[in-house]
Amino acid sequence: MEEDFQPEYGPKWSDQRVERLLGALVLGVVALLLALIVVVFVHGWPSFSHNGLAWFGPGGNVEEELAQISQSAETGAGYIYTFHAWPLIWSTILIAGGSVVLGLIAALFISVFLVEFAPSWMRAILTPVVRFLASIPSVIYGLLGVLVLVPFIGNHLISEHQKASVAGIISLTGYSLMAAIVVLTIMIAPLMVSIFTDALNSVKPGWLEGSLALGVNRWRTIWKIGVRAARPAIVAGTVLALARAIGESVMLAMLSGSTAFAPNPIDGLIFIFEPSRPLAPTIVKSSDQLSSPPASATLFAIASFLLFSAAVFSLIGWLTRRSMNKYLAR
Amino acid sequence: MRIKTLAITAMAVLAFAAPATAGAQTLIGSGSVAAQPVLQALFKAYEKQNKGIHFTYTPDGGNAGIKDVQTGTSQFAGQARTPLPSDAGTTYIKLYLDGLCMDVNPANKIKNISIESLHNIYRGIETNWSQVGGSNLTTTIDPVGRDTNGGTYTFFLQAVLNNELPASNVNALTADGLVVNAVKQDPNAIGYAGLAWQKKGITPVKVNGIACEAKNVSVEPLKYPLSRYIFLVLPTENASPAVQKFATWARSNAEAGEIINKAGGVAAFNKKAKK
Repeated sequence: MEEDFQPEYGPKWSDQRVERLLGALVLGVVALLLALIVVVFVHGWPSFSHNGLAWFGPGGNVEEELAQISQSAETGAGYIYTFHAWPLIWSTILIAGGSVVLGLIAALFISVFLVEFAPSWMRAILTPVVRFLASIPSVIYGLLGVLVLVPFIGNHLISEHQKASVAGIISLTGYSLMAAIVVLTIMIAPLMVSIFTDALNSVKPGWLEGSLALGVNRWRTIWKIGVRAARPAIVAGTVLALARAIGESVMLAMLSGSTAFAPNPIDGLIFIFEPSRPLAPTIVKSSDQLSSPPASATLFAIASFLLFSAAVFSLIGWLTRRSMNKYLAR
Repeated sequence: MRIKTLAITAMAVLAFAAPATAGAQTLIGSGSVAAQPVLQALFKAYEKQNKGIHFTYTPDGGNAGIKDVQTGTSQFAGQARTPLPSDAGTTYIKLYLDGLCMDVNPANKIKNISIESLHNIYRGIETNWSQVGGSNLTTTIDPVGRDTNGGTYTFFLQAVLNNELPASNVNALTADGLVVNAVKQDPNAIGYAGLAWQKKGITPVKVNGIACEAKNVSVEPLKYPLSRYIFLVLPTENASPAVQKFATWARSNAEAGEIINKAGGVAAFNKKAKK
């Protein structure tokens, strides 16, 4: 370091200050993230180590297992950890997967329409509307679902015959896979649309013009050139939407039905009316048991599973994006 | 320059925030959703009489409220069930009486239901209204209840289910208001909610022949079978004197008794108002 050169507001020093400050901030964020992951995994470890791989498997009634786990802290006869999370995992897969697939299809067509076919006045209205929709708090969607969608499904779509066929095991009241998937799709599709439209808009105009000049029609041009060139962003948007779908808790706690039941596609049409409970709402609903050490370990185990799957999905997204980047002449 | 602006802004923000805290005391509570309507009415009257005292109450469920008191997050909790061994370090104060009403949709003409039938419905043994008797419906029952965060859930478990867990066909919702809403919107539903929640759109049913009305709610002698005390729960050690003062007022003051009755509770200990 030079002792003799220290201008008071020189460009060099202000640059170094900014560099160090921002660097420290980034390091702080990374350290915080690492600490979070470590804490969650350490707290959840007893639940994993007692159950082994059976933790992820089926068997037993999740509700009874959770009750036994939280009560075992008070009996003094040793902690119970037995927990089989499959109904919760299966429900998460169905709800998050279903809504991401539906959302992807819908968002893709909506953004192609917005970018390529919509008249400019419509684009001027719809673009801010979509951005607004993407930022609505999930609890509002939850309320709308409880007041409108759930009663509609319960009173008009589900027949008495269907209800009687599963009576005593589950109630078909409208709190269902269908309600959860429909509302979750409405929640995440705007997020995808806003990312997809940005990507389609930034496709090099020359590529599209070249295709049009060769006499290819607009639909084929946008589908074969535009969408293909935007694929990395489409993957990124889908992964982001999937992460939001997996982590959504308040809305799903309100709409998915609270029973830890694994809906079975073999049941036929009735399957989409069956209630279930994904992983994230389980943490919300059992939060009063956090003071019982084994129950807290179980909830942290669920949390670390959610963290792990979020990490895996962003890794997959990153790998896919990287393999697709060769289509982009950047 | 910019640092100066920042400092001025910070001071301005502090100056705006200051009047809210100066001389005022905020009492933080959480817990029972069932007690919320009555507690809010009591808070409002007490705040009017005692300038400088302010309440915040988070209705996160009675069982969750107890944990808040144990961890020190809350200075007091509302609770709708009797003490359990897990409530160590807390003191229960009986505040007023409440009845847990069994509600059905107005489309259901059932007038009376026995505790035994309720047990069977919530254990998944009786699943059709024709099995219960007295109902005009022949459809599948949709039982609705609270999730484990609710003190109301625990009270129902103790009073109706003999501490057995509800069956998997019981839809467990996160708040009493959602239970009421579910019953309102589903002709086949049955649910439970406190006296204060009895409003248009749901019909309270007699339990063991006794109507869920304020005049029948008492614990000694027991008339209405789902009668209960609503408690104010304080930490056993170092309880806030201001909260204790409020508890005494709410339990004994004649005006507080009227407020409790008007808000849907049943005053148990308050002096009678002079007529």
